[in-house]
Amino acid sequence: MDLLGQVLINGALLGGLYAMMALGLALVWGVLNIVNLAHGAFIMLGAYVSLYLFTYAHIDPFLGLPITAVVMFAVGYGVQRGILNLIVRAPMFNTLLITFGLEVVLTYLAQLTFSADFRTINPSYAGDSIVLGPVVLPLARLLAFGVAIALTVGMWLFLLRTRLGRAIRATAQNLVAARLYGVEPRHLYAVTFGIGIALAGAAGGLYGTVSQINPYIGAALTAKSFAISIIGGLDNPLGVIVGGLFLGILESLAALYVGPTYADVASFGVLVLVLIVRPTGLLGKAA
Amino acid sequence: MLKFSGLSGALVAAAVALASGSAVAKDIVLGASVQLTGPVANTGRYYRDAYQLAVDKINEAGGVKVGNETYQLALKLYDNQSDVNLSVRQYTQLVSRDKVNFLLGPFASNFALADSAVSEKYQIPMVQGGGASDQIFARGFKYIFGTLAPASNYFGSTIEMMKGLDPVPQSVALLYADDAFDVSVAEGTRPKLKAAGFTIAMDERYSTNATDFNSLLSQLKSKNVDAVLVAGHETEILNFVRQAKSLAVAPKMYSFTVGVPSEDFRKALGKDADYAFGMAAWLPSADLKDRWFGDAAQFASAFKAKFSYDPDYHAASGAADVEALVKAIEDAGTIEPAKVRDALAKVKFESLYGQIEFDKNGQIDLPQTVIQVQGDALVAIQGVHGKIAPPKYPMPAWNAR
Repeated sequence: MDLLGQVLINGALLGGLYAMMALGLALVWGVLNIVNLAHGAFIMLGAYVSLYLFTYAHIDPFLGLPITAVVMFAVGYGVQRGILNLIVRAPMFNTLLITFGLEVVLTYLAQLTFSADFRTINPSYAGDSIVLGPVVLPLARLLAFGVAIALTVGMWLFLLRTRLGRAIRATAQNLVAARLYGVEPRHLYAVTFGIGIALAGAAGGLYGTVSQINPYIGAALTAKSFAISIIGGLDNPLGVIVGGLFLGILESLAALYVGPTYADVASFGVLVLVLIVRPTGLLGKAA
Repeated sequence: MLKFSGLSGALVAAAVALASGSAVAKDIVLGASVQLTGPVANTGRYYRDAYQLAVDKINEAGGVKVGNETYQLALKLYDNQSDVNLSVRQYTQLVSRDKVNFLLGPFASNFALADSAVSEKYQIPMVQGGGASDQIFARGFKYIFGTLAPASNYFGSTIEMMKGLDPVPQSVALLYADDAFDVSVAEGTRPKLKAAGFTIAMDERYSTNATDFNSLLSQLKSKNVDAVLVAGHETEILNFVRQAKSLAVAPKMYSFTVGVPSEDFRKALGKDADYAFGMAAWLPSADLKDRWFGDAAQFASAFKAKFSYDPDYHAASGAADVEALVKAIEDAGTIEPAKVRDALAKVKFESLYGQIEFDKNGQIDLPQTVIQVQGDALVAIQGVHGKIAPPKYPMPAWNAR
């Protein structure tokens, strides 16, 4: 029983991190209709930004997250204005091609710049844990979970309550009407993409404190984020949290009861099931 | 005027072709496809650098004597981007289009397993120092030779050491990734553990490139496992150790097939690397004499001076591959592939990597030395001749370090 409790907690904490990774992807997908295949590569870049802030400027990885996010926002804004805007009206296939290309370029640039060495963001408390009776809560994962939940709820409120957030949602729902009401989509698209990449960067910083970083982590993270976005649905940031938690717990239980080789089988199996049964996601509105 | 310059251009080109043509005739070209980019570029670089260093050193010493002629070695390397399919295509290209004389190996068992089919098909000998899986040598291939010790015996010396530990570990967990090398390790380790009388409390296979070990770690803790043997890849082992710490899982000992000997691994983990056991079939010792480098210690310092990082057994194995080919070519007295292949099967010499000698399947048999990270140092604990240094055992709880 203790084991099950521990595994459920592990899964939930993992799920929080997953949700954080998928948040930016779901936002960009939902608003710009771009499935950003380079999303994982941006998570990887964010991890390196956090790593360098930590190693050379001695900024704590959690306190450094806002800096990472700002840097990555600028990167995202630039990439959208400079590259993605060229194909914003093109068919989806083109956006897949260009973001895939971006993924490859970013990964190889990262290897040239950072080398293929494995790195970790290792503050003194990274391995600490809180013992609650029979279960152990890893501190860094708990903090990462907290940040993830806070950012997701913050994102939800931002989209719901602020002028900019409403403009983003309006553009996603009806571009023509939004323009008539004075929304300037060129700027708005870049801001949205920037926010998505900033969230990816922050997720990267968290990822580096609990896992390891190398230039090639991106592709697997993109796949995971994609599955979560599908499972949670694109309508609502809260769906991403549900999707992330669901997947984290599912993978942990599969590893415990079926065997660790089946963790990915379970998560991508569920992805297929959701696509068949509830294509709008667990929390999505019925189509 | 135009016509004239075109003609002279053609003449110059012909002259250059002739000059380089005669130079090519004096070269023995060794071809390899190595992971220079992609997820295992980190280990692939050992092979690129070791091949280059060995080739340069042998050329400096006068090259290769074949009968009355002296040849220089040349290296033709491709980057396979850590993609097995691409590496098979590149080996085919090396043999069929580039017409290299002999092949050196890629890194990793799954690559060597696929690529050795090319050397077999074209009957060009491949000496590879990157694949240890017994599967590579179990197919009766005649043109593949390997300088990594058999995967099935990676934990052999570790199990010997475990029998002498105080207190003796009561239960053992065997965790391994689902690829050719690690499955071979597990298949070899299981009967050895049973023969030594250890209880296998957990025997779990996980997906290659898994990043989350929390479920496995929680099970280790709940079953109170004393000794954990992990056969996996460096990234997985980094995650394993970090997550073990964050879940406060501290078995009495753990040992890993990869990572521990590499400087990069210890740097990434910092002081959390302490107490980790591993193994190496090679350590840079001055006792290992070598015709070209003097000895293994000099090889290690030459390597470090040139590439600014420490070589590990991958690098030594790669350098030994070049030496084995050169020795076999000299023994054969020809560069004819089939004759060199026969010479390789009989080759026997001292090298920086140890005694090079292949069994009838084509694989070397070298004992693994148990090593452990102790503070900042990497310490040899137990070798083929018994204990070398006392192990730090049992591993204390994470919060008691």
